[in-house]
Amino acid sequence: MAAASHEKSLPPGPYTEPPAQPKKSTLFSAFSPLANASSRFSSWRTALGLPNPGTVENLQKEVKTTHLTNFIFDGARADLMKGLSMDPAFQVTHSFQLASQSAPPTYSFGALFANSKGLLQGNVDHEGNVSGRFQQNWSGSNISKVQAQLGMQPGHTMIQLEHDYSGLDYTLNGKVINPSPLDGSGIYVGSYLQSVTKKLALGIETLYQRAPDQAEVSSSYLAKLTGSDGKWIATAQFQPIGVLQATYWHKLSEKVEAAADLQVIAAPMRRDAIATIGAKYDLRMSTFRAQLDSTGKVSALLEQRFAPSFAFTVAGEIDHFKNAAKVGVGVMIESTSLTPEEMGMVPPPGQPHF
Amino acid sequence: MPSEETKERVVRAIDFGRTVLHYGWIPFIIYVGYTRSNPQPSLIKLISPLA
Repeated sequence: MAAASHEKSLPPGPYTEPPAQPKKSTLFSAFSPLANASSRFSSWRTALGLPNPGTVENLQKEVKTTHLTNFIFDGARADLMKGLSMDPAFQVTHSFQLASQSAPPTYSFGALFANSKGLLQGNVDHEGNVSGRFQQNWSGSNISKVQAQLGMQPGHTMIQLEHDYSGLDYTLNGKVINPSPLDGSGIYVGSYLQSVTKKLALGIETLYQRAPDQAEVSSSYLAKLTGSDGKWIATAQFQPIGVLQATYWHKLSEKVEAAADLQVIAAPMRRDAIATIGAKYDLRMSTFRAQLDSTGKVSALLEQRFAPSFAFTVAGEIDHFKNAAKVGVGVMIESTSLTPEEMGMVPPPGQPHF
Repeated sequence: MPSEETKERVVRAIDFGRTVLHYGWIPFIIYVGYTRSNPQPSLIKLISPLA
């Protein structure tokens, strides 16, 4: 690279250079110190060997998959999943949900199609509310995403357009939520995360909210510290209005992960803090998650797989301060129209397959 | 600033697009999945929860 730009920085020879492009060559020679510097800078940057820090959206991914906040449910539910094709992946899901304390019984139908270039996903419930996701992988580093929610009543519509760019040691993300082409209102979010050393990444996320008569900008600052060989990850997210979220995740062994999360709100109007600790055990046929938080909630979730295509889930939560409890029971049945050979896996001898 | 008439037209176009997406998204995924799947599934298996 450096040699190539050195050649460009040589004064243009009057014999080799066609007379039609004198302007271009002077332009080149004028910018060549800059190009030289930038190529030296980029080779220096490559030599540092900084890893890609991952996206801002996935900053707390490990903590979120260890904690059961995103997985817990109450009442009874059944999911019938049907795989119709493996490559490209195509599956449909019928979900039934009953007897929840907080939500009415629902039925929903979902469809998913995915290949290496992208993903199409949709969900429709019995009232006709549709939610959808579309993802297009342009190349290894460019991903566009669209998410939409379309309700039956007007005003229950949300659309989010998003683009991710992952560079060598940084990630850029731009997001637009409910943009209006008429008055430019909507929510615009931009984020940038940069690896500073092999272990530390720093970032900023800026949110610009624009309504027809007012606009508002707020930023938050991010930091992510990764331990050697990825055994632990600590993250912090700070908003200058007085919100701090700090998380810590540790992989204790192949099968056990623990995570802690602390959220502090110290705004003039409201002062509050919640701490959550949790652990996840990945056993051969089951996953067990347990969690305790400072609002007095103790919860646990067990996913037990009895057969490759049949899983049973039990969830429970006790709120000691409010004296309330929630219990959930679920079954998940996966059926497929494919033979094991078509799915690309050969069952081990001696194990019955369904 | 666009005129009132253009505004009206844009709002109507957005509304129409939303309706198309609302009713067409799931059938579109099923169509894409059905035609690109390998092997191609039968339609009854695709829709019915029991088959």
